[in-house]
Amino acid sequence: MKPHIPPLKISKSNSNLSESSNEKSIQSRFYSAWGSSEMTPPLTPQDAQDPNMDQLETARPVFHNYLRAFYPFHPAGNVSPSTVTLPLDQGDIILVHSVHTNGWADGTLLDSGYRGWLPTNYCEAYDQIAMRPLLKALTDFWDIIRGGCGSSLKDFGNQDLMRGPIAGVRFLLEKSECLTRESSLVRRFDGLRRIRKALLSDLSSLVKTAKKFQEVANGDPSEDEVEAILDEMLLKAFKIVTRGVRFLDVWNEEVGLSRTIAEMDGPSESQGQYSMPPTPASESFSLGDGPDRAESRMLESRQESRQMSHSRMDMSRSSMRTEMIDHRPVSVATKRVSVSHRMSVSGPSTGIAAQNLASERLGTTYDAFLGVLGSFIGLHMQSRSSTELVVTTQQAVQSCRQLLNVVEVVCEHDTQRSVSLEQARESMCEKLSELVHAARDVFRPAHLPDDDLVFMPDEGKRLVDAATDCVRAAGNCLAKARLVLEQIGDLELDAEHLEERGEELSNIGSPQDESETPVEQERQELSLRLPPPPLQIPSTTYSPATPALTDATTPSSFQSTNVSALSSLPNSAILPTHLENISSFSSADSSYRESHPKSDVSESFGRGITSNGSSFTYNSYTRDSEMSGLSQTSTRATSPDIGGSFQGSFTVHSLKESLSYSTLAEENEETEANILEKTYAHELIYKEGSVMGGSLRALIEKLTAHQSTPDAMFVSTFYLTFRLFATPIEFAEALAERFEYIGDTPHAAGPVRLRVYNIFKGWLESHWRHDRDNTALDFIVDFANTRLMIDLPTAGKRLLDLASKVSAVGGPLVPRLVSSMGKTNTSIAQYIHPDTPLPPPVLGKKEHNLLKQWKNGDASITILDFDPLELARQLTIKESRIFCSILPEELLDTEWTKKTGSLAVNVRAMSTLSTDLAHLVADSILYLEEPKKRAATIKHWVKIANKCLELNNYDSLMAIICSLNLSMISRLKRTWDIVSQKTKTALEQLRTIVDVSRNYAVLRQRLQNHVPPCLPFVGTYLTDLTFVDHGNQSLRTLCTDESEMAVINFDKHMKTARIISELQRFQIPYRLTEVPELQAWMQNELVRVRSNGEITAQTFYRRSLVLEPREASRSGSTLQSQSETMPSMLDNAKDKFDFLSWTNQSKAKSVTTHG
Amino acid sequence: MRRDNRRCRKKLLNRFVFSVFPALPWVLRLINNQLSAQFVQNVWIESYDPTIEDSYRKQIEVDGRQCILEILDTAGTEQFTAMRELYMKQGQGFLLVFSITSMSSLNELSELREQIIRIKDDENVPIVIVGNKSDLEEDRAVPRARAFGLSQKWGNAPYYETSARRRANVNEVFVDLCRQIIRKDSEGSNNCSDSNRKREGPNRHDRKRDNRRPKNRCVIL
Repeated sequence: MKPHIPPLKISKSNSNLSESSNEKSIQSRFYSAWGSSEMTPPLTPQDAQDPNMDQLETARPVFHNYLRAFYPFHPAGNVSPSTVTLPLDQGDIILVHSVHTNGWADGTLLDSGYRGWLPTNYCEAYDQIAMRPLLKALTDFWDIIRGGCGSSLKDFGNQDLMRGPIAGVRFLLEKSECLTRESSLVRRFDGLRRIRKALLSDLSSLVKTAKKFQEVANGDPSEDEVEAILDEMLLKAFKIVTRGVRFLDVWNEEVGLSRTIAEMDGPSESQGQYSMPPTPASESFSLGDGPDRAESRMLESRQESRQMSHSRMDMSRSSMRTEMIDHRPVSVATKRVSVSHRMSVSGPSTGIAAQNLASERLGTTYDAFLGVLGSFIGLHMQSRSSTELVVTTQQAVQSCRQLLNVVEVVCEHDTQRSVSLEQARESMCEKLSELVHAARDVFRPAHLPDDDLVFMPDEGKRLVDAATDCVRAAGNCLAKARLVLEQIGDLELDAEHLEERGEELSNIGSPQDESETPVEQERQELSLRLPPPPLQIPSTTYSPATPALTDATTPSSFQSTNVSALSSLPNSAILPTHLENISSFSSADSSYRESHPKSDVSESFGRGITSNGSSFTYNSYTRDSEMSGLSQTSTRATSPDIGGSFQGSFTVHSLKESLSYSTLAEENEETEANILEKTYAHELIYKEGSVMGGSLRALIEKLTAHQSTPDAMFVSTFYLTFRLFATPIEFAEALAERFEYIGDTPHAAGPVRLRVYNIFKGWLESHWRHDRDNTALDFIVDFANTRLMIDLPTAGKRLLDLASKVSAVGGPLVPRLVSSMGKTNTSIAQYIHPDTPLPPPVLGKKEHNLLKQWKNGDASITILDFDPLELARQLTIKESRIFCSILPEELLDTEWTKKTGSLAVNVRAMSTLSTDLAHLVADSILYLEEPKKRAATIKHWVKIANKCLELNNYDSLMAIICSLNLSMISRLKRTWDIVSQKTKTALEQLRTIVDVSRNYAVLRQRLQNHVPPCLPFVGTYLTDLTFVDHGNQSLRTLCTDESEMAVINFDKHMKTARIISELQRFQIPYRLTEVPELQAWMQNELVRVRSNGEITAQTFYRRSLVLEPREASRSGSTLQSQSETMPSMLDNAKDKFDFLSWTNQSKAKSVTTHG
Repeated sequence: MRRDNRRCRKKLLNRFVFSVFPALPWVLRLINNQLSAQFVQNVWIESYDPTIEDSYRKQIEVDGRQCILEILDTAGTEQFTAMRELYMKQGQGFLLVFSITSMSSLNELSELREQIIRIKDDENVPIVIVGNKSDLEEDRAVPRARAFGLSQKWGNAPYYETSARRRANVNEVFVDLCRQIIRKDSEGSNNCSDSNRKREGPNRHDRKRDNRRPKNRCVIL
C-alpha cells in the first residue's frame, strides 16, 4: 500500500539552512517514524527538513490531549480495511485518546463525535491558554462519562460536573475581554457577539441537559436512557468546545490582529494573553484623526506607556513563554531553552530601573520577538489575508533586529568571545533571512501591475516554516547569550547606546559580522516591497526612525493598498476599545449591582442551574493534573428543593430579601451574569478534591462559597488555625472584602454575605481568643456598623451585640464544645442512658479505714491495699479530667514545647502526670526490700495496667508499661524469676499494644475507630503534630498563567486540624465515681515522686543496683542474703538506711540517696 | 501514599536530626537490610503525613545493600521523660548530635551516652558522635580535637562533622551507624550460628572512607 500523497506541494527550499542539531522541523519526529509499513501515517504534507534519526529519542512528543487538523485528511477507502480512519477537515478539533508510536492517534472528532484513527502529522497540538480550562474540563468530562466505568450515577447527582465547562467558558471569555455583553469588543464585532451568544446558549443547553439527567437519575432510569442522555451531554460538551475554538478564531481574526499591530512591542499580544490591555495613555488618542496621524499618535502613547506597562509585561511573560512553547514542535532542545529562559527571568517583576539590564532587555526583546512570531504563525493558520502577512513579517524582522542588537552588545562585552553565541547569532540571522526570502517570494506576484496581492498558500507554508525556525534560532541565541551573561555578569545597557546600535545596525548592517550583511540586504529588498511607515515604526521602540526603512522608496501602488488595508482594519479604534475595557470591567460589574440591587437568596436557589460554575472548579485549571472531577464539598444548594432546607438556616434574613423570581425569559441573561462572577478561585490549589493551598482571599472565598454548605472540617480548620497564617485583623479584613466584592455578582451576594456574617458570628461566639483576637474587635464593630448595617441590618445589630459581649466577657460567649471538631468524625460516644447508675467503687470498709488512717498519718498504705480496678478507675478519672480540658490552641505551633510562657498548661499537665505515674511505678517496686514483695507489686501493676486497657486508658497503660520496661526494673532478674508466667504473658501482651516501633502501628490501629470514652496516649499526637509542623512548609507555590505566587499551605493546617480533631474526638469524660480519699492519696504519692525531680532516674538506677548488683545476677539465685550483703560491698549503706526509712513511711524519703 | 512518604523521609530526617532537636539522641533500629534497590527514593513530595507507619523510616545504601532504618522518634514528647527509655531500649544504634557552636551541647552528650549504655547494658552499643552546623565554622565553640578526643574516649566512636543545611556528611553518618548495627547483629548471631557470617564479608571490603575519621570500632572488652 502506498502512503498518501501529501495534499500540499512540498517546497524544497531549505537547503541552505545550517544543520544545527536542535533545529528540527515540526514533522521530523513523525517523519522518522515513517517507513514502508502500512500502519505508518501518510507522509507529512510538509517537507521534513532534516530527517535526522538520532533526534527521535530526544524529540519525544509530549502528549497533547487536543489536536487541530492542519491539513484535510480524506483517506481513500483502501488504506486499511481493518482500521477505521477518521477523515479530517482543516481546523477540526480532535480529542486524542492515545497516540501510537507510529504517529497515528486514536481520537474523537469533536465536530461529529466520531472516533477513529488519524495521522498526527496532519495536525498540530491545540493548546491555547484561553482555552485550556475548557479543554481540561472536557477531558475530565470524557473521562468520567466514558473512561471511568466505575463512576456511578451519583457522580452526576450534583452539578460539580457542570462546573468545569462553565468555568472554562468563563475563563475563555475573561481572557478575551468578552466577559460581559456590554464589553466593547462584543459590541464592536458582530461576529464575536454572535458566536459568543451561541457559545453561551450551548453552555446553557448543556446545563439543562445535566439537570434533566439529574431528574432522570433520581428516578429509576434504564441503562439505555442514561446512556442516551450521557451521550447527549457529551456531544453538547463537544459542541461547546468547538464553539469556543471558533470563538477564539474569530477573536484572533478580529481583535488579535489589530491588537498585534497596536501593541507590537509588548509580548502580551500573542494568542491567549489578552488580559493585559495595553496602556492608560489613551487620552492622547483621538478617533477623528486620519489613520496616519492616529497611527503616529498611537505610537507615541505606546512609547510612553511602554515604561508604565513594563512590569505588567514581565508578569505576562512567563505565560507568553509557555504559549510559545506550545506552539512550537516540542523537542527537547527547545524545551531546554525555554527552561533556562524561565529561570533567568522568573523573578519578581522588575521595575523600570532594571529595564536596561542586558538580561532584562534580552528577555524583553526575545519575548517581543516570540510574540510577533507567535501571532505570525498563528495568523497563518487562521486567516490568509496577505496584508496581515506583510505586517507581521515586517514586525518579525524588526523585533528580531532588536533582539539581535542586544545580543550584539552582549557579544561585545564578552571578553572570551563565545563561539557558540556567535554561531547562534549567525544561524539566527540566516533564519531571519530565510524568513524574509519566503516573505518576498510570497509577494512576488504583487509586482505584476493591476494585480492585488496574491497569496500563495505553498509559500505561506514555507513562511511558517521559516518563522518556526526563527523561533528556534532565537531561543538558541537567547540561551547562549544568557550563558555568556552568566559568565561575564549582567551589564547595564543605556538606552542611548542601544538606540545607536540599533540605528547602526539597521543602516549598514553590522560591519563586524559578515553574516549580518545578507540579512540587511534582504531587509532592504523587503522594504522596497513592503508597505511603509505605520508598520515599520514598531521596530523603533528604541530608535524612533529607522533610516534603512524609511528611506526606502515605496511603490505608490503598494502604498495605497496598504493604506486601504489599514483602514479596513479597525486598527485605530482598537486601542481606545480595550482601554475602555479596563474601566468597563468594573463599571459593568457595578452596573449589574445597580440593576439588581437586591439579589435574593431564593432567586439563586430557585433558578437552579446558575452559578455554581465559577469558583471551585477552577481546579480544572490549576496546574495539578490529577484533579478529580469531584470536589469534596457538596454543591447541592442549587436545586430548588434542597435550597429550601438550606434557606432554613438563614430564614430570618432571607425573608425580607426574597423579591422576585426570575422568569424563563430572563434565564439566558441571568445565566450569563452568573457565570461571570468575580472570583479568586484560581488562587486555590486542589488535589484529589480537597484544598491544598490558596491565597487568603481565595480561601475566604471558599469558606463563604454560596453554592455549597461549607464543609464542616474546612470551617473548623479555619477557625482553629487561621491565626497561623493571618493576623485576626487580616482575617477580618479579608472577610469584609469578600462581603464587598460579592456585590458584583448579584445572585450570589445574598447568601455569601450571610455566610460572611455567620463566619464573624461563629468567630465571636465560640472561637474568640481574647489573647490574640481583641485587636480585630474594633474593625469588626466598624464593619458591623457600616457595611453590614446597610445590607443586613438585623445581622449588623446582632454582630454589634456579640462584639460588645465579647469585649465584656473574658471567655468565649458560648461555652465551647471542646470536641466540636470531633463532631465531624464518624464515631460517637456510646450512648448511655443518663439514668444508668455509675459503677460503684470497688472499695470495702477496710480500704476506707486505711485511707482514713493514712489521712491522720497513722498508717502507711501501698497500692497492694487496693483493688486494681479501682486504682485504674481513679487514675483514669484523674487523667481524663486533664485530657478533657486540653484546648485545641494548646496543640498548635508546637506550643507545648516552648520553654517559657507556654500556653499549653493542660498538655504539660498531661505529660507531667504520665511521667509521675511512671516514676511512681518504679518507686513502688524499687523501694521494696524483698524480691517477693517486688514481684507482688509488679504483678499488681500489671493488673492495674490491664484494667487501664479495659477502660481504654492508653495513656496510663503506656506510663505503667514504660516503667516496668525501665532498665532498672527489667534488670532485676531475681525479681522477675519470681513473677508468675501468667503475669509475664499478660505483660507481654500489653507491651505489644504500646510498642513504639513501626510508628506505634498497633496503638494507632486500635485507636482508629475507637469508641469513646477513651484516653489515648497523648505523646503520639504530639509527635505527629510536631512532624506536621516541621515537615511541611507553610507556603506553597502556585503556578498561574502569569506568574508563580506563594500561597498558604492550607493542607498543612488541615493535617494539623485533623490530628487535633482526632484527639478531640476522645475528649469525653468517663462515667466513673470519684473516690476523693483515694484521689488524695494518689495525688500525694505522685507529688512525692515528682519532688525527686530530674535526678529520679539516676536514683532509681542506684537503687536497682543496690537491690540486685550486676555481678550478683550471674553468680547466684539466692535472694535475700545477697541483696543484703551487696549494698555494703558497694558502699551503699546509706541507701539501705534510706529505704528502710522509706518503708517506715517517711515521706521525706530517698532524696538523700543521691549524692 | 507509602511510597510518597518514603521519598520525603530523607529530607525530613536531615532536617530533624541535625537541626531541630540536637539535645536528644537519635535512636535507630535496623528494620531490613536486604532490600532491593528499586525502592531508592529521590523524589520530592509536597505533603508529609507523619501519622502513617513508615514515615519514620530511612532507606540508605550500605556497602551496596539497601537498608531501612527506623527512627524511633521522640520529637514533641520531650516532656514524657519516662518514654525516653522505652525508645532507647528498642534502639540498636544511636546518633549523639551536638552543635559545634555550643560547648554545653557537647557536655550534655556524656549523660546521654551513660543513659544509653545503662539502658542497653552494653558498652559497645553502636554510637556515632555528630558535630552539626559545620557550616558555621566562624562560630565554632567546640574545637575539633576536643570532640574527637571525646569520641576516642568513648570506645573509639566515630566522629563526624556535618552540616544539615548543606547536606554535608549527613548520609555518611547514617551509613556508618548502619554498618555498625549490621556488624553488631552478625556478631550477636555468630554465637549461635555461622550462617550470618557471610554478611559481614562485603562490609569489610567495601569500606572506603575518609581517613581523617576514626573508624576503628573494634570490639573492646
